[in-house]
Amino acid sequence: MQNPPPPITSARQLDLDLDPLLSVEPAKPWAADLLRDCARAFADKDSANLHRLLWMLNELASPYGDCEQRLAYAFLQALFCRATASGDHCYSTSLAVAERAVSFASARRLALKFQEAAPWSTFGHVAANGALLQALDGEPALHIVDVSDTFCTQWPTLLEALASRADADAPRVRLTVVSSTAAGVVAEIGARIEKFARLMGVPLEFRAIAAPALPRLADALRPEKLELREGEAVAVNCVGALRRAGCGDSRDSFLRAAAALRPRVLTVVEDEADFGAAGEFMESFEECLRFYGSYFEMLEESFPATCNERLALERECFRSLVGLLACEGGADAVVDGERRERGRQWCRRLERCGFETFGISDDVIDDLKALLKRYRPGWSLLPAEGETSGMYLTWKENPVVWACAWKPK
Amino acid sequence: MAGVAEAVSKMPPPVPAVKKKRSLPGTPDPEAEVIALSPRTLLATNRFLCEICGKGFQRDQNLQLHRRGHNLPWRLKQRSGDRAAPRKRVYVCPEPSCVHHNPGRALGDLTGIKKHYCRKHGEKKWKCEKCSKKYAVQSDWKAHAKTCGTREYRCDCGVLFSRRDSFITHRAFCDALAEETARVTNAASIAGSPDYLLLQQGLNANPNAFPHLTPPTQFKPNAANINQFLDMGLVAGASTLYGDLIGSNPRRFDWMQSNKFQLSTSEFTTSALPTASSSNSAVDLSASAPALFAAASLHHPPAPDMSATALLQKAAQVGVTSSMGFAGSFEPSPYRCQSTADGSKFDGVLFSQNHASMLKDFLGGETRDFLGVGVGLQSLCHSSVDGWI
Repeated sequence: MQNPPPPITSARQLDLDLDPLLSVEPAKPWAADLLRDCARAFADKDSANLHRLLWMLNELASPYGDCEQRLAYAFLQALFCRATASGDHCYSTSLAVAERAVSFASARRLALKFQEAAPWSTFGHVAANGALLQALDGEPALHIVDVSDTFCTQWPTLLEALASRADADAPRVRLTVVSSTAAGVVAEIGARIEKFARLMGVPLEFRAIAAPALPRLADALRPEKLELREGEAVAVNCVGALRRAGCGDSRDSFLRAAAALRPRVLTVVEDEADFGAAGEFMESFEECLRFYGSYFEMLEESFPATCNERLALERECFRSLVGLLACEGGADAVVDGERRERGRQWCRRLERCGFETFGISDDVIDDLKALLKRYRPGWSLLPAEGETSGMYLTWKENPVVWACAWKPK
Repeated sequence: MAGVAEAVSKMPPPVPAVKKKRSLPGTPDPEAEVIALSPRTLLATNRFLCEICGKGFQRDQNLQLHRRGHNLPWRLKQRSGDRAAPRKRVYVCPEPSCVHHNPGRALGDLTGIKKHYCRKHGEKKWKCEKCSKKYAVQSDWKAHAKTCGTREYRCDCGVLFSRRDSFITHRAFCDALAEETARVTNAASIAGSPDYLLLQQGLNANPNAFPHLTPPTQFKPNAANINQFLDMGLVAGASTLYGDLIGSNPRRFDWMQSNKFQLSTSEFTTSALPTASSSNSAVDLSASAPALFAAASLHHPPAPDMSATALLQKAAQVGVTSSMGFAGSFEPSPYRCQSTADGSKFDGVLFSQNHASMLKDFLGGETRDFLGVGVGLQSLCHSSVDGWI
């Protein structure tokens, strides 16, 4: 056994420059570097370093501080779980607690406040609705299969658009929602949206299907499960849902099941990040740092200083980071739902599974640009290039959300 | 000149000017001459051409003004071929599927048919930047641009929106919408419900039942104030959201009709009143209580008798001299249940007290944040075959 190192008597010996961290203004960004050092300590299995770095992180992190402190806190939870091999347990527990605690009122408040503050979710809604309206134009009977956990916040504006089409009566609409939200909450949502549709003059039939456990999400798309009817035009809407279809091949199965329905259009919205299970820890760590760093900064600049909704959104990230950094996953574990792919990766998958791009009109692009103008500066629209189709929402020039429309070949 | 004198003497005696009566809309004069102009003509912007220089004008009046500049002799000042009072003209739309293609629905005004054709069948070249609404007629677009974005929308629950999409999404899930059903079903049982604030609308409910309650200032649609309801939401600009709805989509009028005939009173629960965003914060945090609680437990204030330096020293010493060494792992591994010192497993809460004490032990005994009774490390740490010490 080695000689124990001499006791530390000063911060200097810890080889830490605390001054920039303790000065008041202006604060240099410190979290990313410290977190990278931690990740390197993991990768190098350097426990002495890891100890002191985690200790430092714990000192500086706070869920109530500025976005550097919050980001540090989020990663601290995940790294701690990794170090104590408690990731899987933490993840499933946290998920269970969150699912138990959700109520219609809290979900509504969170979703609507977030939509007010930032276009992160509304971007995908407007893009998808635009594609849906384009693809389903002139159809008298629609069946929209909504595989997402957006609490149906996408649909009021679509219903309003269908109702205000000047040249035609509103079509009959069936909305089948496949989600993992608690049944009671979904029922309340359904009742309200049916009522709203009635007031809009759109005949709407709402139905909820509980999302089957992985890897059986594709089961939800079986025609008999969806109770497809003659003469209705089908469309499939997947917002943040493709990644929840398990990993690897299960995602392909889901897409093939969607193609088999012969929808007029398949609308896809996903976060733009590559959290693939394979690969080096350092690479996936770096990607987490990039994506969540962007996200936390966006939250700080979009919400007012003290805001419970911001806290709630950050808390969801704690869980995601635990899933990404402290869980092994694979074999269609629930945690695989955190493994986002980039747009270009989804494009390859979609083409492989029998889809081709559905071009959206300039009108939809203009709608998206007009949407972004209604928010604070920092957001812009970036059409995808090359082999990747679709569009990105960018925050400070970084693509963060990808939206695209597809149809069966 | 003889010709002129002739023309003058043949002029009919002056008759008092009869104002042309506007016929009812949609009923063209049956004696009128039906003109079917081509799409090209209808869309042409400068169809009034000066025969002298060929310059084009949008309006006849502008052309006449221009012609004066050419100093024409008196004779030619009259437009040739403009002798007799022309027959009344009505115009039909060239588009066969259009309702105005039928001469029975012809439009009496040339400008009207041009605007109609452009709006309905023409290309919508003008687009609003803010809301991407498209217009074929430039004047329509300009008129819209003046009011776009200045309109505000007020929900029944009292919240005001500047964005239409936010308003629609809010409205769809608003309690005020749900309450409309509740109001109908509760109409009979109002008297005994002290939980609700009642807005007295002058019908059946007893006005003296709740004298201590003041009616909210928002309007609820009913027979008495349907006009106020229509004006609701109007800040600047010519039309209201509801005006649009009624005008463009008569079927949706039932939204307001149903309100009109349903209830005379409305109920406000306190949750429907506009509140600051930080209300109900206790409810919101319920999902995150474990994490917050943990946060609190992770940030205990230091004991007063320990200096920072001493704590650092202690941390370094205790952690390093532990014979068991690093208790954790560098890789994520499948779920292993970690026992804490007292043998209990993780209770089902992320970052509970047990977790916090694990963090403390992991970081090597008492750190600044994890003061408490020192917990023996040996029961905590697994010895791993590949122990790093």
